[in-house]
Amino acid sequence: MAVTFVDVDVRPTLRNGGEPFGEIMAAVNALAPGEGLRLLATFKPVPLLHVLGSKGFSYETREIGGGDWEVLFSPAGAARDPETVAPAADAGAWPAPAREMDNRDLDPPEPMVRILAATEEMKPGEVLSALLCREPIFLLPELAKRGHGWRGGFEPDGTTYRILIRIDGAEDVGT
Amino acid sequence: MPGVALSRWTMSYFALALLCLLGAEILMTMGIGFPTSDISAPASLIVVHLVAIGWLSLLLCGALFQFVPVLVARRLYSDLLTLPTLACLAGGLALLLYGFHQLDSETGTAWNALPFGGLLLMLGFVLALYNLGRTLWSARPLTLPARFVVVGLASLVATALLGVDFTLILSGASASKPLVELVALGLPLHVVAGLGGWLTFTAMGVSYRLLAMFMLAPELDGATTRGVLRLGIAALAVAIVGGVALIWSGGEPDWALLAGGLFALGALGLYGRDIGRLYHERKRRVIELNSRMAAVALGHLAAAVLLTIVFTATGTLGRHVGALVFLIAFGWLSGLGLAKLYKIVAFLTWLECYGPVLGRVSAPRVQDLVVEPHAARWFALYFAAVDFAVLAEFVGAPVIARAGLAAMLIATIAIVAELVRIRRLADVPRATRLPEGARRPRLLVSVVENA
Repeated sequence: MAVTFVDVDVRPTLRNGGEPFGEIMAAVNALAPGEGLRLLATFKPVPLLHVLGSKGFSYETREIGGGDWEVLFSPAGAARDPETVAPAADAGAWPAPAREMDNRDLDPPEPMVRILAATEEMKPGEVLSALLCREPIFLLPELAKRGHGWRGGFEPDGTTYRILIRIDGAEDVGT
Repeated sequence: MPGVALSRWTMSYFALALLCLLGAEILMTMGIGFPTSDISAPASLIVVHLVAIGWLSLLLCGALFQFVPVLVARRLYSDLLTLPTLACLAGGLALLLYGFHQLDSETGTAWNALPFGGLLLMLGFVLALYNLGRTLWSARPLTLPARFVVVGLASLVATALLGVDFTLILSGASASKPLVELVALGLPLHVVAGLGGWLTFTAMGVSYRLLAMFMLAPELDGATTRGVLRLGIAALAVAIVGGVALIWSGGEPDWALLAGGLFALGALGLYGRDIGRLYHERKRRVIELNSRMAAVALGHLAAAVLLTIVFTATGTLGRHVGALVFLIAFGWLSGLGLAKLYKIVAFLTWLECYGPVLGRVSAPRVQDLVVEPHAARWFALYFAAVDFAVLAEFVGAPVIARAGLAAMLIATIAIVAELVRIRRLADVPRATRLPEGARRPRLLVSVVENA
């Protein structure tokens, strides 16, 4: 079942110099269970990704020309159409993340603890996507020991590190 | 991209370093060396090198073997080299201290241990430099904190070369004229390279990363941080290279030291601004003991800078140089070292013990390994005792300073006891201490299981 998305276009508000945050949050609060939000904005709304990420939404961002961005926010746990999910650019043949987490505001080593806890709950072949505020250098040997594969890198903003972990997928790691 | 493993011998470095600190404090409390004797007396040289090499350099080497890989996200070039390095450093230090002891005895001895100690220490530092250098080299282009470490390591080379020169001349092994000139006038350069370049500059670089990490503050790599690096390099180059050039051209190194001091002032000013930003912009409002105590140590660095300016302006630097070195060594470097050890030992122990079972069983948190209110009292006593001793030294009352040193010794013993408790998991509730699959860490060696 694909998610139904409610459209919110904040581009006029932004072009008039307005602050669209209230408008967006009102729309989010009005969503029915299982519904997602399709946001159109004049820039990549990184802080908002963060806010909605912490409310349990996963998201995909796409530049749609003219400097505008489309962001699809899907509620956690919703079945998504793999065609519409754009995995990280280097994800190759890996499936879309089955689980996403934003660990950027957690004290170290809490991000590592949560990621390892999540990997224990997931099925072989599934992919976990996690946002961090630095390269998880102490996590990687632990993933290797447990036989998981991973790919990671900094997002274009230069401060967010996204790691994709494939459960029991160590043989896929191309390092 | 294999990540970073635990450094096997880092805990051994830390343990030997702490023993040297305790040894130096015991000697000073007993009235051997500074502050009872003049800072350049042979007995003081034993204490100074026990602190500078035994405590601070071993601490920094052990920490760098673990944290240079963290700074550059690469594995250490060689885990095997770290133990022979430790053996060379420990053996070299023992010979060096024995050599100073020989200098102190009236009767001339047939041989002197100083040059052997100097050369063995040099070998140990070369091994450390090779290992860290290869690790850093593989990670070019380097991040800013890693560049600070490179400058610190270059200063270590300068310090060690000057130090070897001292051992050759003082022991009578060489009488070459340029080397004798360096010994006659070069002591301030040796101190600046060691205390300023190697220990302080490296600690500054590592502090950027550790403070940002432990307080969830933004990583700084802006203009001020680059300014700190450039001004710091200028300060060290002018003072050390310029100083040596002046000595060899028949002059005194004072002007080079003064010019270097001005650059250093600029670097430290910008560093203070950066550190202020890190504390101010942190996301974690309630910070842990290690970050609070690091702030106290940074305050002591600021005090040392201000006092240096005042003493230079009033022409009293020569009279107070011993107390000033004491303030830098114990208020700033040792304070920061003990504060960060308290966190690092807990984190590494936690990772070693519970890393393999994370997510599978409920494991204690890092903070469950420590009891901060206990340690906080001892840190407070430590810093109060340092300040008391420094004040007594400034007013020229070494007997009173020894009371401060006794209190420092007690506080250090208590902090070491806390560290041993962390390593032994003594403060983790028994029920969760060793879940299935977890292994009790050994006191001095980290068991590294390679993937």
